[in-house]
Amino acid sequence: MTQTATEPTTTGDGQRVLVVDNLVRRFGDLTAVDDVSFTVAAGETYGLLGPNGAGKTTTISMIAGLLEPDQGSVTLLGQQMGPKKAAPKRHLGLVPQDLAIYPDLSARENLNFFGKLQGLAGGELKSRVGEVLELTGLTDRAKGPTKDFSGGMKRRLNIGIGLLHKPTMLILDEPTVGVDPQSRNAILESVEALSDEGMAVIYTTHYMEEAERLCDRIGIIDSGTLQAEGTRDELIRLTGGVDNIQLTGSGDTAAAAEALLALDSVAQADAERGHLQLTVHDAPTAVAQIVTTATASGLQLSDVQISRPNLESVFLHLTGKALRD
Amino acid sequence: MRQLLTLLTTDLVQRLRDKSVIIFAVIVPLALMGAMNLVMGDTMDMDLETATVAVSAPEDDQLAAQLIGAIQALPEGGLEVEVTETSAADVQALAESGDAKLGLVIPDGFSAALMAGEPVEVEAVEGDGSGIESTVVLSVVQGFLDRAGASAVAAAAGAELGLPPAELGGLAQQVATGESAISMTTGEASNEQLDPKGALIAGQAGLFLMFTVSFGVLGLLAEREFGTLARLRSMPMNPHLITLSKVLSSFVLGVVATSILLTAGGLLFGVSFGSPLAIAALIVCAVIATTSLTFIVIKLAKTSEQATVIQTILAMVLGISGGAFFPMSGTGLFGTLLDLNPVGAMIRGLGITSGGGGLADIGAPVLILLGFAAVALVIARFVPDRGAMA
Repeated sequence: MTQTATEPTTTGDGQRVLVVDNLVRRFGDLTAVDDVSFTVAAGETYGLLGPNGAGKTTTISMIAGLLEPDQGSVTLLGQQMGPKKAAPKRHLGLVPQDLAIYPDLSARENLNFFGKLQGLAGGELKSRVGEVLELTGLTDRAKGPTKDFSGGMKRRLNIGIGLLHKPTMLILDEPTVGVDPQSRNAILESVEALSDEGMAVIYTTHYMEEAERLCDRIGIIDSGTLQAEGTRDELIRLTGGVDNIQLTGSGDTAAAAEALLALDSVAQADAERGHLQLTVHDAPTAVAQIVTTATASGLQLSDVQISRPNLESVFLHLTGKALRD
Repeated sequence: MRQLLTLLTTDLVQRLRDKSVIIFAVIVPLALMGAMNLVMGDTMDMDLETATVAVSAPEDDQLAAQLIGAIQALPEGGLEVEVTETSAADVQALAESGDAKLGLVIPDGFSAALMAGEPVEVEAVEGDGSGIESTVVLSVVQGFLDRAGASAVAAAAGAELGLPPAELGGLAQQVATGESAISMTTGEASNEQLDPKGALIAGQAGLFLMFTVSFGVLGLLAEREFGTLARLRSMPMNPHLITLSKVLSSFVLGVVATSILLTAGGLLFGVSFGSPLAIAALIVCAVIATTSLTFIVIKLAKTSEQATVIQTILAMVLGISGGAFFPMSGTGLFGTLLDLNPVGAMIRGLGITSGGGGLADIGAPVLILLGFAAVALVIARFVPDRGAMA
C-alpha cells in the first residue's frame, strides 16, 4: 500500500497534467508494476526513485504510451494515453534512458527528423531546431554526424529532442546514467529551468542526490509498487523525522548523557567508549545547545558529527534494503 | 502519410550513409558474378567455332563419299564445317599443325568392308586446339559407322532368311541411307531457359535480393537496440507506420539493387533480358515476394543477430533451390515446391523475357511470386509476435 505523506498541495484538479491511476503491468508471472497511482501538476517535477528493476521504466513506458497497461489508466491533459493514441502524445516529450539518436545523422538532421514526426514543419521546425541546438550548446556541431559526439553531447541532444515540440509533459528516464559530472550538472540545471518555465516533469533516477535536488515530490518505487510519495521532508518524516548527532571526547560520557537527556530536543542518548550517540529532533537548531550542555557537564569534545535522514534512509526504512542493492 | 515519408526517407538516407547495403546488395553480387564468370567462362561461352576437318578418302568409294557428305551437312545443325580432302599423310600433318581441328583417314575398301560386315577402322587425328567442334564431328562419324554396320547386319540377316542376293544390296542400302524408324525432334527444353550467363546474373540477383530486403528488418531491430524505437513509439502516430516504413525501405532497396544488378550484369556480360517493362514487373513482384518474408522475420527475431541468421537461412535455402548457382529440377512434391520458389520464378520469368516474352507471357511467374507473398503474409499474421515490436 502506498504511504502518502500528504495530499499534494500543487495538484488541484485544474492544474493536473498527468493522472496515473492504478497501473498494473504483468510479464508472464512477473508483476512488473502493481497498482501504481500518482499525479503530476504543471511546473512540478515528480521523481520516481527506486533501484534498477524496481519498475520505473515499465511505469514510464505506460505513461509514454509505449506499453498498454493490463489494468489502470494514464490520462495526459484529460486524454487517455495508449500505444495507438496519437493526440495525447503531441503533449509528451520522452527522453529515454538509451541514447535515442541516429549516429549516422547530424544533430540537425536528428532534430529535423523527430520534429517532423512531432508535426512541426516549415519555419516553425527550423526555428525550434535552431533554438534547441542553442539550448543544448550544439550549434557549432550541428552538421557533424552524432557518432563523433562525446557522451555528454549525445546526452544533451537526447534531451533536446524531447524538448523540440515544447511538450507540456517531459519524461526523463535516468538521463544522467554514464554522464560525466560536468554534463550531469548541466542536465540537472536544464531540468530545473524547464520546471521553472511551467513544464511538468517526471524524472526517474536511482541517484538519491538528483531526486533530492530536482524533485518537488518523489515517489519511491520498489518491486513494482509505489511504496510512498510526497515531498522530501514529508518522506523523511515517515522515518520518524529524527536526526543523529555523535559527540566524541574525553570525560564522563554517562554524566553528559544524563544532562543531555534533560533537553527537549534530545530523545535518546547512548554513551559508548568515548562517544555519545544522540537521537535528536531538528539537529541543526539543537546542536549549539547540545554542545554547550555536554561541555558544561565536563565532556572535553574533540569532534561533533551530525547525520540527518535522507531518501536513502527513507528507502531503507520502507523496504528494508539499501537503494543501490 | 507525411510521417511515413519522413520515416522512409530518413531510413534510406541512413542505409546509404552506412554503405553496407551498397556493398552487400550491389558490389558483392557483381564481384561474385565476375568471379564465377571467370571460373566458368569457357563452359558458359557456347559460341562454336568453324570445324576444320581434313579427310583422306578412297576414290569412287560410295559410303566414304556419303560419310563426307554427312559431315558437310553439319551447318544445317548450326556448326560451320570446312572439309578439306587430301592424302592420308597430309591429314596427319594438317592436324598436327593445327590447320585442321580434326583429321580423318578413311581406309581403302571402306564400302566393301562395311557391306561385308567386316571390321573397318576410320583413323581420327585430333589437332591442337580441337574442342567441342571436333567432338561433334566425331559423333557424326560414329553415328554413320553405326548405321552402316547395322545395314551389313540387316543384309546378313536377309541372306540367312533366304532373300535373293539381288534384294540384299537394296536392303543394306535402305538401312544405311533410309529414314530412321525413330526420329528425334530438337528444340528448346523449355521456353523459360536463360543462357548460362543470364542464369548466373538472374540467380545472383535473386539470391542477393533475399539479403537486401533484410536490411529493413535489421533496421527495425537496430532501432530497438539503440533505443530509438521507444522514442519513435512515443511519437504522435500509428506505431504500425514504423514497421511499414522498414518494409517499404526493404522494398525500395530491393527494387533498386535488383535493377542495378540486372542492368549492370547484362551490360558487363553481354546479356539481354528483353522487355524493360516485363523485367520491371518481374522485379517488383520478386521484391514483393521476398519482402513479405521480412514480416515473418520481424515477428520471430528478437535481436539483429537472430534476424541475420533467419534471413541467411531463408536466403540460402530459397536461393540455392531456386537455381541461384546452378539449375535445380525435381519431380513430384519436391518439383512442385521448386516451381513455387520465388528466386526460381524470377529466373524463369527472366528466361521468358530474354526469349522475347512480354508482359502477357510472364503471367505464371508473376502469379507464383504474388502467391508466395500472400502465403508469407498469412503465415506472418499467425506467427506469435516475439520480435522487435512485441
